[in-house]
Amino acid sequence: MKIQVIKQRTLWWTVSTAIIVVGFLSMLISWQQFGSPLRPSLDFVGGTRLQLELACAATDTCEGPIDPSTVRQILAEQGLEGSSIQVVGDQQQALSVRTSTLATDEREALIQSLSDELGAFDPNLIQIDTVGPTLGRQIFTSGLLALGASFLGIMVYISLRFQTDFAAFAILALVHDVLVTMGVFSLLGLLFNVEVDSLFIVALLTIVGFSVNDTVVIYDRVRETIQANPTHHINDIVDEAVNQTLTRSINTTATTLLPLIGIFLFGGDTLKFFALALIVGFMAGVYSSVFVASSLLAFWRERTGFAYVSTLPEAEPADSSP
Amino acid sequence: MARQRSILMLVLVLAISAIVALVNLPVRLGLDLQGGTQLTLQAQTTAAVPEITPEKLEAVRSVVERRINALGVSESVVQTIGRDQLLVQLPGVSDPAQAERVLGGTAQLDFRAQRAGTEAQLPIEFRVRQELLIEQIQLEGSADVEAIAQKQAALERSNEAIAGLFDKTELTGEKLSNAYAAPGTGSAWEVGLEFNTQGGVEFAQLTASVAGTGRSLGIFLDDELLSAPSVDVRYAETGITGGRASISGGFGAEGANDLALQLRSGALPVPVVILENRTVGATLGRDSIQRSIYAGLSGLSLVLVFMVLYYRLPGLIADFSLLIYALLTFAIFTLLEVTLTLPGIAGFILSIGMAVDANVLIFERTREELRAGKTLYRSVESGFYRAFSSILDGNVTTLIACIALYFLGTGLVKGFALTLAIGVAVSMFTALTCSRTLLLTVLSVPSLRKSEYFCPNLPPSNSQAKATS
Repeated sequence: MKIQVIKQRTLWWTVSTAIIVVGFLSMLISWQQFGSPLRPSLDFVGGTRLQLELACAATDTCEGPIDPSTVRQILAEQGLEGSSIQVVGDQQQALSVRTSTLATDEREALIQSLSDELGAFDPNLIQIDTVGPTLGRQIFTSGLLALGASFLGIMVYISLRFQTDFAAFAILALVHDVLVTMGVFSLLGLLFNVEVDSLFIVALLTIVGFSVNDTVVIYDRVRETIQANPTHHINDIVDEAVNQTLTRSINTTATTLLPLIGIFLFGGDTLKFFALALIVGFMAGVYSSVFVASSLLAFWRERTGFAYVSTLPEAEPADSSP
Repeated sequence: MARQRSILMLVLVLAISAIVALVNLPVRLGLDLQGGTQLTLQAQTTAAVPEITPEKLEAVRSVVERRINALGVSESVVQTIGRDQLLVQLPGVSDPAQAERVLGGTAQLDFRAQRAGTEAQLPIEFRVRQELLIEQIQLEGSADVEAIAQKQAALERSNEAIAGLFDKTELTGEKLSNAYAAPGTGSAWEVGLEFNTQGGVEFAQLTASVAGTGRSLGIFLDDELLSAPSVDVRYAETGITGGRASISGGFGAEGANDLALQLRSGALPVPVVILENRTVGATLGRDSIQRSIYAGLSGLSLVLVFMVLYYRLPGLIADFSLLIYALLTFAIFTLLEVTLTLPGIAGFILSIGMAVDANVLIFERTREELRAGKTLYRSVESGFYRAFSSILDGNVTTLIACIALYFLGTGLVKGFALTLAIGVAVSMFTALTCSRTLLLTVLSVPSLRKSEYFCPNLPPSNSQAKATS
């Protein structure tokens, strides 16, 4: 198998652009609907979420599934009409309620009146999340800061080990991966009410760390091929480098995705969408490394008149392998 | 050969010490895995304390820690984060209400003397407040948010009016040596107080000053009047000596206990609010860890199978060094006392992906060299040699991202960055040392020195190639 990276670059670029444009549109619609590009979870907007499971569910002695309208009525009595209520669990005997931020006493009162009406809850299966709105902003800004800092660090490192244009396109590929993942989750938010939490920011940062790896491996090969064949055109060099590393790109992505797919399909709820974000991001990452970063680099060098290494003003830095 | 043998010995020693460490040291699980409550508290500035200095935050931390210890939660952790926040971890607590109540109150207790000339006013203001309180209880649970807010405002005004009738004294909760809950009259509970020496003297002075005057002594908690006992005229000479007092203020057993606990552990220098509460029930955490670990492990075992099927003999060796990798990484986690959270486990699983990648890079390179007609031994050597710069650059860039995450991220992000970084560092070692030495050792066994074990479908001339080691 041989991929025509350079010849079909318009195709590769169109695919990427199309996905990103759809993502942007989705983020725009999201912005109008809930004031943020992705559907934000409690982590970012603040509030209280209670997850409760009836104690009788374990012994299968419940009278029946929980009726959401009863729950809605109890919430209304407490002045919490705008809350979202979800009846969950295999037997519909667990409850997930999301309200505005509740103080301790308000929360206790709510749990008390819920259990008065529905039956006792299992204390070992309870989950309470209360997040103040300021904390969400803190998570968000620190995440953004970490993203910016890692971009900068990666840029400096690649500039040192390779060259500045290598670094610029590597960062561009990373921005591509982040945008694709955000776009996909924005769509998921619109279509399936998938929310992004602070783990999503972790996922984005992981995608950056992992995807740059793919790009660097290909760059490493480009650098090596340039040194071996300094008279070849950059297009041929990139084509050759991408194809030589292709099996590795595919195998590595496949082996990394296997555990993630396992977690996505069978793992606990907390990690499900974290795993999905990584799956999407890693696939975007390998795509951008193979098709986008490499072809853009070749395109740039051709355009700026450095298609042949001998015309470069300075020599390539020496390969510092041991 | 001697060098290979010593590296093999080193790997063996490391693996054995890793097993010893894993058997003897407990793995620290995060609250999301073992169940418990995590609270984030924020210290608030007040008119008196316009800025939260590190010393102030430290003072808040030590009071919070004392209160937590008094609650009897084992292995609790109280850490300061950032400029004005505290992180409180309470393993095993699935009903955080008591902890929240105990931590949330400032518990600034002080004793005040009623001003002269306000004798008639106090009972009136007191009655106004009682009525407001009763009305508020009636309103509770109703949906009339506005009425509740109005009542709350009226109550605050009333509290201020009452506080205006008293003069502050030097006697505060800091001069207590003990506080305990005790049953009072009927079903009501009281909080018994014992003063230290100075507190005892001041209490005697204060009681002497109001005894028999018709004015009362005000006991205030967080600027709110708890009770206003009057002092009998017979104490006018000496005051109440002995350094003991009790407060009754309509406490139930729970309320009296909570207050006594707060008083014992001291007042918070500034008020705190609970910014975040994350509570996970014990079995919920366990279910979630088990499901995710099983899912991750089954994915990983597929990876191991894939490696053997695709890369054959080197794949088998890679699998072996991956096992050593997992062992070493986990041992480092326990030695460094890394707390394993769900994102931490995700970071670990990912780092296994990175470790596999290093092997994939090397073996792909080895195959290329074999296809180019090199001998087996030279192909393996140059596979490692040539893949090194890719592995180094790839891992360093990932480490850069980890460092950014670790220093700029918050709680969850930090744990993830740490496990990933440890994983990446260890994977460099196992891929470059362990896999390499094992592979070279295997090559010294003549019956295994067959190119087909390394790369299928080689052109016939190459498959005859023999190692020349």
